[in-house]
Amino acid sequence: MKPNTSFSNGSVAVEAKEMQVYYGSFRAVKDIALKIPTKHITALIGPSGCGKSTVLRSFNRMNDLVASARVEGQILYHGSNIYDTHVDPVEIRRRIGMVFQKPNPFSKTIYENVAWGARINGFKGNMDQLVEESLRQAALWDEVKDKLSQSGYSLSGGQQQRLCIARTIAVKPEIILMDEPTSALDPVATLRIEELIQELKKQYTIIIVTHNMQQAARASDYTAFFNMDGDRAGYLVEFDNTNELFTNPKNELTEQYITGRFG
Amino acid sequence: MDNMQPIPNQSETTPFPEGEALKNQIQWRHRQGLAWRLLFIAALLIAISSLIALLYNILNDSFGYVVVINKVDPQRLALDVVEEQILNTANTVSSEDDFELANGIANDSNGIGFFGIAYYQENNETLKLLAVDGVMPNAETAASGEYPFTRPLYLYTADAVLQNNQAANIFLNYLLNNVNSEIETVGYFPATSAAYAAAQQRWLSANPGLGLQSGQWVSIEPDGMAGTIRVVGSSTVFPLTQHMLEQYQEAGFAGNFGNESVGSSAGLAAFCSGQADFAASSRPIQSGEIEACRNNGRFPLEFQIGTDALAIVVNNQNSALNEVSTEQLQQIFTTATTWNEVNEAWPAQAIQRYIPGADSGTLDFFAEAVYQTSLASLPKDDLVRLLATNISTGRGRALEREQRFYESALVFEDPATWNEVCAAPAGERPSGCIAEPRTQEEVYDLLLAEVIQPDVVKVYNLQNSLLNRTAIATEAAALYPNGEITFRSWLSADFITDPQSSTPEFAGVRTAIFGSLWVIFITILFSFPIGVGAAIYLEEYAADNRLNRILQTNINNLAGVPSIIYGMLGLAIFVRVLEQLTSGAIFGAVESTASANGRTIISAGLTLGLLILPLIIINAQEALRAVPNSLRQAGLALGATQWQTIWYHVLPSALPGILTGTILAVSRAIGETAPLVVVGASTFITVDPSGPFSKFTTLPIQIYQWTSRPQAEFRNIAAAAIIVLLAMLLSLNASAIILRNRYSTRSI
Amino acid sequence: MATKNPATPLMGAETNMNDLTKRPRIGESFIQGFLFLCGILSIFTTLGIVYILTTESLAFFTRQQWENTNKPIVADITPEETVLVVGDAGASLIEEDIVRLGEEVMVVQSIAENTITVLRGQQDTIAVSHTAGLQLFRSNTVTLSETITTTKWIPQLGLFGIWPLLLATLMTSLIAMLVALPLGLASAIYLSEYASEKVRSMLKPILEVLAGIPTVVFGYFALTFMTPLLRSIFGEGRVEIFNTASAGIVVGILIIPLVSSMSEDALHAVPRALREAAYGLGATKLETSLKIVLPAALSGITAAFVVAISRAIGETMVVAIAAGAGPKNFELGKDSITGFVLNPFLAAETMTGHIVRISGGDISYDSIDYNSLFSIGLLLFSMTLVLNIAARYFVSRYREVYE
Repeated sequence: MKPNTSFSNGSVAVEAKEMQVYYGSFRAVKDIALKIPTKHITALIGPSGCGKSTVLRSFNRMNDLVASARVEGQILYHGSNIYDTHVDPVEIRRRIGMVFQKPNPFSKTIYENVAWGARINGFKGNMDQLVEESLRQAALWDEVKDKLSQSGYSLSGGQQQRLCIARTIAVKPEIILMDEPTSALDPVATLRIEELIQELKKQYTIIIVTHNMQQAARASDYTAFFNMDGDRAGYLVEFDNTNELFTNPKNELTEQYITGRFG
Repeated sequence: MDNMQPIPNQSETTPFPEGEALKNQIQWRHRQGLAWRLLFIAALLIAISSLIALLYNILNDSFGYVVVINKVDPQRLALDVVEEQILNTANTVSSEDDFELANGIANDSNGIGFFGIAYYQENNETLKLLAVDGVMPNAETAASGEYPFTRPLYLYTADAVLQNNQAANIFLNYLLNNVNSEIETVGYFPATSAAYAAAQQRWLSANPGLGLQSGQWVSIEPDGMAGTIRVVGSSTVFPLTQHMLEQYQEAGFAGNFGNESVGSSAGLAAFCSGQADFAASSRPIQSGEIEACRNNGRFPLEFQIGTDALAIVVNNQNSALNEVSTEQLQQIFTTATTWNEVNEAWPAQAIQRYIPGADSGTLDFFAEAVYQTSLASLPKDDLVRLLATNISTGRGRALEREQRFYESALVFEDPATWNEVCAAPAGERPSGCIAEPRTQEEVYDLLLAEVIQPDVVKVYNLQNSLLNRTAIATEAAALYPNGEITFRSWLSADFITDPQSSTPEFAGVRTAIFGSLWVIFITILFSFPIGVGAAIYLEEYAADNRLNRILQTNINNLAGVPSIIYGMLGLAIFVRVLEQLTSGAIFGAVESTASANGRTIISAGLTLGLLILPLIIINAQEALRAVPNSLRQAGLALGATQWQTIWYHVLPSALPGILTGTILAVSRAIGETAPLVVVGASTFITVDPSGPFSKFTTLPIQIYQWTSRPQAEFRNIAAAAIIVLLAMLLSLNASAIILRNRYSTRSI
Repeated sequence: MATKNPATPLMGAETNMNDLTKRPRIGESFIQGFLFLCGILSIFTTLGIVYILTTESLAFFTRQQWENTNKPIVADITPEETVLVVGDAGASLIEEDIVRLGEEVMVVQSIAENTITVLRGQQDTIAVSHTAGLQLFRSNTVTLSETITTTKWIPQLGLFGIWPLLLATLMTSLIAMLVALPLGLASAIYLSEYASEKVRSMLKPILEVLAGIPTVVFGYFALTFMTPLLRSIFGEGRVEIFNTASAGIVVGILIIPLVSSMSEDALHAVPRALREAAYGLGATKLETSLKIVLPAALSGITAAFVVAISRAIGETMVVAIAAGAGPKNFELGKDSITGFVLNPFLAAETMTGHIVRISGGDISYDSIDYNSLFSIGLLLFSMTLVLNIAARYFVSRYREVYE
């Protein structure tokens, strides 16, 4: 059964076509066809090892950093394949930012954590303003405005993750990839991040990988469910409006997964 | 529904570069990245190339051409021995005058002898020419070299003679012009065309005034030329020179000449001292003779004027002999007394020998060609005799006291004095009283060092030696005409087995290798058990309390203390405070406590032991930490005590790791120099260490001392010693790697 | 015990199983005691080093060197007299001077014209009669301030100013650092951030080989390769055969593997997530390496630098062979600072080089020279100890952050 890969209205931010990802000779992900809607939150869910993180990292060529990784097929972004040889991953990553599983602030001051990405990318405006704006957008400004010159490590886990989000939005990306951004956080911090993500979707397209089905149901507009086949290669089972997917899954596997019978 | 948007042009709304500007910005960043990346690679390459430069430098100094000047030619010494034997054989008549020999054989039916073939030609009615190894001497066999005893005949003169004595100069021109057509009348054979051309060339270079190019030639008529020509030398060459001089006179030379037949050596000596214009010689001039000539301002020029096939002749009446082999010749002229001893078919009559005298080049040639003796292969007795004739008795006595030549006989020392000297208490009497007598090889080495005294006067590095071979040959020939240019490997078997010496040509590293091994042995003996013990204590027993934390910190800090500080600790504690112990005095290893000295192997070993102890502990701790805890728990759960668990389970599985760490620490100790200098390594010892209380030197110490010497040759042996040291370290490290590999395959 | 059960051959099966009280195990305790002694030996080593260096240094600063004042006494004195009549000749004395007449030691109390008043029979000597004409010897001890403030080290003349040796050590170390730090750090960055696993596994062993070569070999290298190289570049007239530049550069080369491997460890300890974060923001490899990874590894790299400095200061054989065989004594205000004192192309003996040269010769244990070596050693030991402790502090800091 061919999964539904479309959505009814709105435009496409990025699209995967016939995408395969290999690690050496191992095919980690196969035949992915997926369109991500602009300025919405798309959640990628599935059992562990199904390749959802791999798919996410393919969207801004983070997989390039793994020597053995190889992506086949196409990922179309504004009409061109980001894996074309003439496309520079540096530019792609500047436009498609990423927030990671564990908060990973730089060993710099809070201010520098936010400013650094903008600076290397040739930001020419008022840096103080950008930092403040980014921190405000990340809902962190009030907590850190008096200690901008302290190390990023001085913050709590949840604050650190918001700092990482602030740092990501400071370079004005179009899409933000989030790789289980709350898995290392306590419930209170998680809630705050989820609220923040809802705010952010007004300006950014967000793709979030999550382990947590409730989170996907709660926080996303669209959901893609991945599973892996007998060769341990991940594939896309179903993609739909989140509500639709959780209430009326088209695929039996999806139903089994969301009702907690495996995964 | 593929409504993908184009990238929005945000250049007005965002302060980030977009479009073309963004491309440029990123490109600029990439270029920056590339530049830095190249810088990083360059840094690494510099580090690596310095290693290459280091190794290259060592190789460059370890091998290469050297110019050696022997004080005495070793071949000469060997010939002396053989000739002495030949001359002293019974029933031997010797004379510098070959006519006498020819006459002698002609009148003696049992006579046998050898001389230039010209003398046979002159007396071929009374003499019989023998084939050697089946070949008769004649123009063909001489030219092809088939006849074993062919040899060039030379005339030596000097630039100074040719410039100042026109009679001599023109004679040489005349001779080179005509000798080839005349030589057969005398009985000899022409020189090779190459030698002939070289001789003409040499004459031309001595006469630059003629303005001739090389390859051209001129023959000058001696018409009415006056003056005196004096030729002196080999009796073999004599008939040829005599003939050519007579021809010269017939061709119009109006002056006088003298020609004397005194033997090659005497002739060269006379020429070099300026008593003659030409020296005739049946052998090439020797390095010592060149030296003597140069000292008199005469730079000898060599002209080959013909070829002789040395004739072995017997009496015409001797019907039994028609040919001889080289082996038979050896017997005939030394060991045999009657013919049938050599060959049963030959008569049982006494051999009568007629041979050229000691001054003759012919005898030298015969001895060399027939006996083919090299100095190194001579028996010990001969070598000792050579030594005795070439060094002073005083020096000989000193050598004999160092080490005897024979078990039961004395060569230099008077027996009474010897007994008296050796009656002294141990420690004061010379080492020769108890040491084993010298072997043939040792006597040979002694002969080299004391008599031949090869002196390396010029060293070329390997790179030069390989790339500029011809330039080196020319330069060496110009600067050191009597020097012998050879390719020398400073690293050789002799270098490894010889003891230390004050002359770099003879120095070796045996003492140092033994010293290093002894010191390392003590080091391991001391530091391995203690280091491993300490590691076990810290890893397995020590509770996390203040004392043990201090202990750990202390060990880590000790690992960073400069090695020279350990040297000072060793000097103060082992050498001075524990002197009675480390000198071996309390064990009775030294006779009198007054001569006790703590600068011994054991002090050095213990010092290095303390030095590497922290390294061993840290490495062993790491190996112990790598042992999984489950192993310990399994042991303890079976009711084993803690020590049993450690001994039977933890240690065996940590052992490869511990050994690897220890080997690495030990290789550090082997290369250590500074602490041993401070502890007091001996600057010069030639005696192998005999135990932990011996004085010592080690390889790094030798390298240090040799490197610090100003003379170039010490640098070469320092390089060779470095190779030995690195080879030692390499084999140690290789064993560590093998251990590590075995360990890792086993643990998976 | 007659009812021994053959089915339980294990030791202790016959003992009362209810008795589980701890029994002393003599063997075990003995072994543990021995192992403890092995561990504690390192403490004794440290104590030994500290004790030896301090006592000998103390001896250095208290050893009396008798210097002839050439000043004779002009009248005989009895053991009881305390006023010495002295001649005009010779060096003048001051109060508190310790002087010696023959075997007897005295302390000068006051000085008048031609007479001095002394305390007799000092320092365990016995006051005896002395005859006129005997010359006074004055005791001279090396003072700490003299060592620190003077600039000549000439033991034969009793001059012990540490500066020539210390400056030479600092110079060779500085030159070594200028070579080792950039090259070592750049190599580390390349190996850790850029090189592929294959390249790394080829290049790293080469650095390890470099690290395993004995220092005396580097000394040979300095003298036979680096010095001729420097002389051919800068001119034989400007570069002496022994010079601190050559020794310093080679010490630097020999420290590169240390700097590089410690720095690489520090770079390696930086979590991958940090690099990914930088890449995720659109950073290039260089920006990630230099601006994110390097600062994050800074304390570890600092530790590498500090350890390297300590190694350079303590390095002996290279400087002993190539730097110079005599202290470069100078006079402040007279000798040009840049042209002479700090000129790296001139020969200068370092602290370690001096210790090796003097102790390698025939040195008498009972001499001020011998003592002086230990005071140099004490200075060396203190310097390296401080640096090593500092390095350990930096290492522990980066471990805290990431482990």
